[in-house]
This record gives sequence, C-alpha cells and structure tokens, in this order.
Amino acid sequence: MSAVLYGVLIVPILTAIAVLAGATSRSIKIMNLTGSALTSLLLGIIIYAINTTASLKIGILYVDHLSGLFLAVIAVLSFTASLFSASYMEKELITEKNDLKALKRYYFLFNIFCFTMISVLVVENLGLMWVAIEATTLASALLVAFYFSRAAIEAAWKYVMICTVGICLALLGTILLYYAQVSAGIGGDALSWLALKDSGAVLDVRMVKLAFVFIVIGYGTKVGLAPMHTWLPDAHSQAPSPVSGLLSGALLSCALYVIMRNIAIVKASVGFVFVQQVLMALGLFSILIAIPFLLVQHDIKRLFAYSSVEHMGIITFALGIGTPLAVYGALLHIFNHAVAKSALFYMAGVLTQEYRTKQIMRIKGLAAANPVLGGVFALLVLAITGSPPFGIFFSKFLITWAAFAAGYQLAGGILLVLVAAVFAGMLYYGCQILFGQPVATARNVRVGRPALAAMVLSVMIVAITGFYVPECFNNALRLAAAIVIGG
Amino acid sequence: MNLLIILLMTTAFFLTRVTNMRTAVGIFLAQSVMIALASIIIGFETGEVHYYLAGLLTVVIKVAFIPYILFKIVKRLKNERETNSLLSPNLSSLAAAGTTVLAYGFIDQALPGVISRDALAAAIALVLIGLQIIMIRRQAVLQIVGLNIMENGLYLLGLSVTNGLPLILELGIFFDMLVAVAVLGILTYRLKISYASTDTTLLRKLKG
Repeated sequence: MSAVLYGVLIVPILTAIAVLAGATSRSIKIMNLTGSALTSLLLGIIIYAINTTASLKIGILYVDHLSGLFLAVIAVLSFTASLFSASYMEKELITEKNDLKALKRYYFLFNIFCFTMISVLVVENLGLMWVAIEATTLASALLVAFYFSRAAIEAAWKYVMICTVGICLALLGTILLYYAQVSAGIGGDALSWLALKDSGAVLDVRMVKLAFVFIVIGYGTKVGLAPMHTWLPDAHSQAPSPVSGLLSGALLSCALYVIMRNIAIVKASVGFVFVQQVLMALGLFSILIAIPFLLVQHDIKRLFAYSSVEHMGIITFALGIGTPLAVYGALLHIFNHAVAKSALFYMAGVLTQEYRTKQIMRIKGLAAANPVLGGVFALLVLAITGSPPFGIFFSKFLITWAAFAAGYQLAGGILLVLVAAVFAGMLYYGCQILFGQPVATARNVRVGRPALAAMVLSVMIVAITGFYVPECFNNALRLAAAIVIGG
Repeated sequence: MNLLIILLMTTAFFLTRVTNMRTAVGIFLAQSVMIALASIIIGFETGEVHYYLAGLLTVVIKVAFIPYILFKIVKRLKNERETNSLLSPNLSSLAAAGTTVLAYGFIDQALPGVISRDALAAAIALVLIGLQIIMIRRQAVLQIVGLNIMENGLYLLGLSVTNGLPLILELGIFFDMLVAVAVLGILTYRLKISYASTDTTLLRKLKG
C-alpha cells in the first residue's frame, strides 16, 4: 500500500517532467492524459483501501475517510480537467498564438498544481498541510497569470498577495496551536494531527481559541469566505478554464479540508459553541455578499466564481451547524459542487472560445447553435442551482433540514431565501445564454470530443448522486463526518 | 533575546519610513541576519544541532537568495519611485507604533500571564507591521518586502514561544517563501513589461 501512497505523489511530478520533454503538442497531450489517468487510478486504489481498513499511516503520510472523500474529488476533477484541457488548450494555441513552449509550461504547472493539492490531503501533520496549501497558491498563481495579459497579471498579483497574507495568518494560528501542544506537554510529533486530536481536552482553551480564529481567517481566505473572497472572482475569471474548474472545485475544497482537520482538534478543547458561531456567521455572510454580484454580473466566469463563494458559504454554514446530518450534507455538497462547478467552468471555457467574449450579453442562442452543448449547459445550470433531481438539490436539502432540526429556524430561513435569490439570478442568465436571439458569430459553435466527454461525465456523476448514494459512499461520508465532529 | 526583539522592532520601524526600494531590501537583509544570529545563539545555548541548521537555512535563503532576487529586480526597475503611498512616512510610523501598543494590549487581554509575553507581542506586532506595509505601500517590491517582514515575525514567534518549529516544517516554510518571492518577482517583471510601471495602484481593472 505504501507504494501506492507514495506513487500518487510521484506520478504527477514525473508527468510534469515528462511533458517538458514532449516534442509535439499531440505527444504532450497523450503523456498528460496518461499521467492523470494513472494518478486517478492510484487515488481510486487508495480510496478503496480506506474503505476496507478505515485509515492508513505510512511515515508522514496519513489517509482516512475524510481525506478519502477529498481524494475522490481530486481524482474526478484532475481527470476531467486533463480531458478538457486536451481540446481546450489545442484551440487556445491557434487563437492565442501561443507556441509549444506555452503548452509545456501549462501542462507542467498543471501537474505540479495537482501534486500540491494531493499532498495537502495525504500529509498527517498540520504544519505540512500549511506548507502544501501555500504551495498550491504558488503553483496555481502562474497558471492564473498564464496569458500574461494585463488583467491576468493583475489577478495573479492580487491572488498571491491576498492568499499569502491570509496563509501567513494561518501559520500564526498553527504556531499558536503548537505552543498549546508544547505547553500542555503532549507527546508525539510536533503538530501531529493524530496526537492533537486525541488530547484536545488538555490544551489551553484561550490559546486554542486564539489559534482557531487565526486559522479560520487564514484558510478562510483560501476558501473564498467573505470578506476575504476578493481574489476569487479575479483569479477564476482570468485563469484558463480547466484551471478555473480546478481552482473552484478542488482547491477551495482542499482549504476547507484543512479547516475541518482543525475543527476536529479545536472542538475538543474549546467546545463546539465557539466554533459554531464563527463558522455560521462567516458562512451566511459569504452567501449574502455573493448575491448582489451574482445578480448584476456581466462576465460569465465571474458569475460562476461568485456562485463558488456562495457554495463555500453554504458548506461553511453547514459545518457551523455541526450535527452529524449537517456535516454529512456539507461533505456531500463539497463533492457535488466540485464536480458540477468544474464542469460549468469547462462550459464557460467552450463558450468564451466559441463566442470570443466573456460578456454574458453577447453569448446568446446556444440552444439553437448547438443543441447538444445547449442541453448539457442547461443541465449544468439546473444542477448547480440545486434543482432536483441533481445531487446538489439533495445536499442543500440535507443542510437546510439539519439547520431546522438543530433549532436554527432563523438561520435556516435566511439560508432558504438567499439560495432562492441565487437560483433566480443564475437561471435568468442561463436562459439568456440558451434562448436569446443568436448572434452572428454563433452559427457554428463546436466542441471537441474530449471536452464534451469531460462535461457529460460530470453531469452524470451529479445526476447519480441525486438519485442514489451507493452504500459504501454513504458509509464513508458518515464516517468522515464523524471524524470532523468527533464521536 | 530581548535585545534581539528590540533590534527587530527598530528595523521594522525604520522600514515604515523608507520609500527607497534598495534601502528597504537592505533593511530586510539586516533583519534576516539578526534572525539567523538568534537561531545560532539558541543553538549554542541548548547545544542542539537543529538550531544551527535552521540558522544556516536562514542565511542561505533569507540572507542570500531572497535579497539577491529582490536586488536584481530593483536594479531592473529604474525610474521607479514610491509615489502613491496611502500614508506619509510619519503617519505610517505612527500607525506602526499604534500597532505595537495594540499587539501588547491584545496579548495581555487574550492570554494574560503568558510566559513569553514580550516575544509573542513583538512577533504579532511584526506580523501586523508587515501587513501594514503591504497595505500602505504601492510599489510591488515594497509589498514583497512587507510580506517577508510578516514571515520574519512568524519565525520569531516560532523561535521564542516554542524554541523553533521542527526542522521539516522550517524547511517547507523557507522553500515556500523562496518560491513565493520568485513568483512575485516574475509577476513584478511582467507588471513592468505590461504596465511600464510596478505601481500596484494601476491594478484596478478587475471589479464587480
């Protein structure tokens, strides 16, 4: 098993190096696809092993049901993003006059980015998680700046500055946690999650409270929680679309994962009420902030980016409720959102390529121009806004249910109103894109086969989780929720 | 240790007054030397190899590599001056003084009677002053220096309250900082090419 665990870290790096040696764009594409398929396969093996043995610890690496869920997200997203990149980057090469060198740079950074995200999920130590999260910022920053246009440089600069400052605050919190560990005389390695989780009760309460505030603000910046979300729409709108999908679906989830690991420690020390107040307030505020930007948005990728802020708000809110049902809903929502939102960003990539604009007003008549693509787009918009029968409806429903069941009538009511507002806004723009009067450039909207496959695969996954959650997945989610809230 | 804290705070105050980029990088270099010395002194006192290694890493990365990269960038940026500061040097020094008082007050309030009160407060003050420099200064290079000051504050925190983080973490943090400066360096260079200036107030196209 240890070979697989190390392999999943080594394969992306080897792929990154291999693409640098590629001679033609075709060979680079094939190498990248092979590498990412192999990574996803190894991730699948790890997830299977977690389901049978509950947890694995090899050296500094550790995986359990919680990391298993997020590894599943990475496995799906890194594969669909590779698949989508195959068509998307080929077209970018023609239209943007980038050369082979740019393609190599893209795939190199892409694989390094995947490597850093996987390492966040497989390390056991909170300090190393910090190192890995900071590494994700740096790897993705150059992807955000990929086109080196004025807007892209601006987005990347803001992204690195805001996220690094945020993450520095998270390090401050982590060091305080370490201080609490040292002064409580807990054995085991420094900042070891396993050691801290079991002995949360003996940690100094004031110190842990202080640490948690810094940790939530710090990693919350990376999750895109308001008011630290300002980098998110810029970075998501300027990055190449496959990367936007990965940023939104996988990266934000990785940051949430680290917050969850910290919650597991903190709640044993300071009790859950404190954690609850912080998370519920931040969650609701994020949804609230996202709405005006969603309702009056001109840029299709920024529209989806603000929708990510909203969904991260919903998940954080659910973590704040903190009942097993709510956390179960939150975890399921992370999975569903990641798959659906990444596919939507791929879709946005196809649309911006075909219509040569990001302006929603100028993207019209998709249903007439390409019925298949229009159909997938309609399904994706319905999925992300939480219409039945898609998985997001189910997980949103669970979260609201949990809010009312736990006695947060007011907060639950606010959540419902806010979600309804987002639904209206997204559907309005969705209909405009689908059914508006077709513009001249839209006569032949075409999409590459791999790109379409990536999107259809994602739609199928969110549709399936809406109807039916397999028993092993259900079980894994329940155990993962238990890891977050203890018990 | 107290002498070191006083020196570090003094350099941070100097930095709030400096608008020349070369001087700012120089001050950062001086601060890194102090931090490396502190590591080595603690290593000498405790006799553990770990601290020597951390000190050595500081020398290699923060005294050599990062200032080297920054000096190289500054050299390329002729005719670049800090003009659009949010606050004048006097006001920013005053703000830094206010921050320091706040940091002490905050530590006393949140963690009364904590053992290494001075170091903890100074570290938090240093982090906040770094943050202030990022907010007040508009030149890309000065913001990068601010970020590094924040990181120095965190290193001081680790060193003073827990006698240093484990070496593997230290290594990871240093590596991240190095890559961060390199990435920001690339972006600064690109800023100069596309905007013909590295004044970050020009970055206001993306909104809403």
